[in-house]
Amino acid sequence: MEMESISENEYELFFGPAHPGSGNFAVRLKVDGERILSARSDPGYLHRGFEKLMEYRLPIQNAVLSDRICVLEPLNWNLIHAEAVDELMGIDTPERAKYIKVIMAELSRIQSHIIWYGVISMGTGFNTGFKIAFGYRDYILDLFEMITGGRVYPAGYICPGGVRRDLPEGAKEKILKVLEKMEEMLEFEKLENPFHLDRMENVGILKLKDAIRLGATGPILRASGMKTDVRKDEPYEVYDKLDFEVPVRKEGDAYARYWIGLEEIQQSINIVKQALNNLPDGDFIAKEFKKPKLAIKIPEGEVYVRNEVARGEAGIYMASDGGTKPYRVKIRGPSFLHMIPVLEHLLKGAEIADVPAIYWSLNVCPADLDR
Amino acid sequence: MERETDILNKISAKFEVEGKIQRKQRIWIKVDKENLIDLCKFVKEIGFGHLSAISVTDWVKDGKYEVIYHLWSYKDKILITLKTRIDRDNQNINSVVPIWGENAQIHEREIHEMFGVKFEGNDDLSPLFLEDWQGPPPFRKDFDWGKYVREKYYNKKNERENIYFEEV
Repeated sequence: MEMESISENEYELFFGPAHPGSGNFAVRLKVDGERILSARSDPGYLHRGFEKLMEYRLPIQNAVLSDRICVLEPLNWNLIHAEAVDELMGIDTPERAKYIKVIMAELSRIQSHIIWYGVISMGTGFNTGFKIAFGYRDYILDLFEMITGGRVYPAGYICPGGVRRDLPEGAKEKILKVLEKMEEMLEFEKLENPFHLDRMENVGILKLKDAIRLGATGPILRASGMKTDVRKDEPYEVYDKLDFEVPVRKEGDAYARYWIGLEEIQQSINIVKQALNNLPDGDFIAKEFKKPKLAIKIPEGEVYVRNEVARGEAGIYMASDGGTKPYRVKIRGPSFLHMIPVLEHLLKGAEIADVPAIYWSLNVCPADLDR
Repeated sequence: MERETDILNKISAKFEVEGKIQRKQRIWIKVDKENLIDLCKFVKEIGFGHLSAISVTDWVKDGKYEVIYHLWSYKDKILITLKTRIDRDNQNINSVVPIWGENAQIHEREIHEMFGVKFEGNDDLSPLFLEDWQGPPPFRKDFDWGKYVREKYYNKKNERENIYFEEV
């Protein structure tokens, strides 16, 4: 890419892709002194073409592929893929499977929000927070290893029809123990920290009107004052039977977004506890899928499924022409809008020093942007 | 299901569309290319302010592209999907950027890159994900990735690479 020639004070600056704090993603900033005149996102470093890859594969293979849509919360993406196939095939998953799915999705949300806290801390110069966050996240990864077999990638644990394996013996006690640890972590996170306050208060303010126009969803939209959550608006699995709150803030700045993340961890802990208490007995996978069959015909039709993942609204559009493979899959990642229109909007007029705080307060994931 | 029926009635009173209620909170509507923009303006007015996604399905046997708009209403908590078909050889469609702003802009930019659909009125359709891409739009059904990679990057006569040319 060529740099444009610019006047004396104006110059161009790349944030990423080799920046330690940006992930596989770049923003080109046009800068005048310390002030950013305009920003242009430059994605594509992680483009793997999942939408096309899925057209060539069976749902049982796509379940494994769906892990990779977002590195930081693979189980949530497993869940939404499985839901799309289930709805298209008209499969009703057993009650126990639904509870296990919710437990896994919420654990995944907790560890993703803990990473969020970690990277915000790193971006604002509080490196201890980053290290503590990644240490505590490992407790949840241990759980994932015990239940799914994989620490980060569950290899399609949540698959069409239910889950691959039942919870192992003693899982409930272990999950409760890990939740205690998470509450410990949350107490630490909630300490008022001058690093976070100084760097994030009144920085990157996103007004509600702009947020809706730019397509912000999830915690980013809630931090701007809109009370909305796909789990409440359009309950999937068993969310309508669980009692939880949707944290909302009005300020819309980076600190509000950060604080929403902390409050959501508490809500997710509550959800997991309730789901564990109400966990029914029974099958963990629908009988159509009990014996793994490779090629099952998907009935003709189309669905659009929405889920609340840690970053916001996720969507999968799936169409089938009656074959064994989906005809078309469209994946809507929340970071697609958070990292292009929202980020460009917030960076315009900001100062260079605020870039990491704004960037990480959006809870970004280049993987679900590029797909 | 009352709200769904209400909204569908409101729309079909004004426009000639083929609509159905798939399930709770899901309405699917087929509309002509000519009426699309008017319908989009109308649904935005009645509350569908959040453009969740735009996607395209390539129905190669029919020679059509199907452009699909998924819209969510925060007020009614309903997802409406507008579908419109355009010819594969004449892949022009009016842009919805004036209605949904930057959100629509970025979705259309992606689709233009992956399918080659031209959105008239969208002034920035520059490449998004692919850098220095010379081939045809890669998400089209008639584009074979394997074949393209074999022809472009591998040599059949090379001993170490000819394995890629074997029939599986």
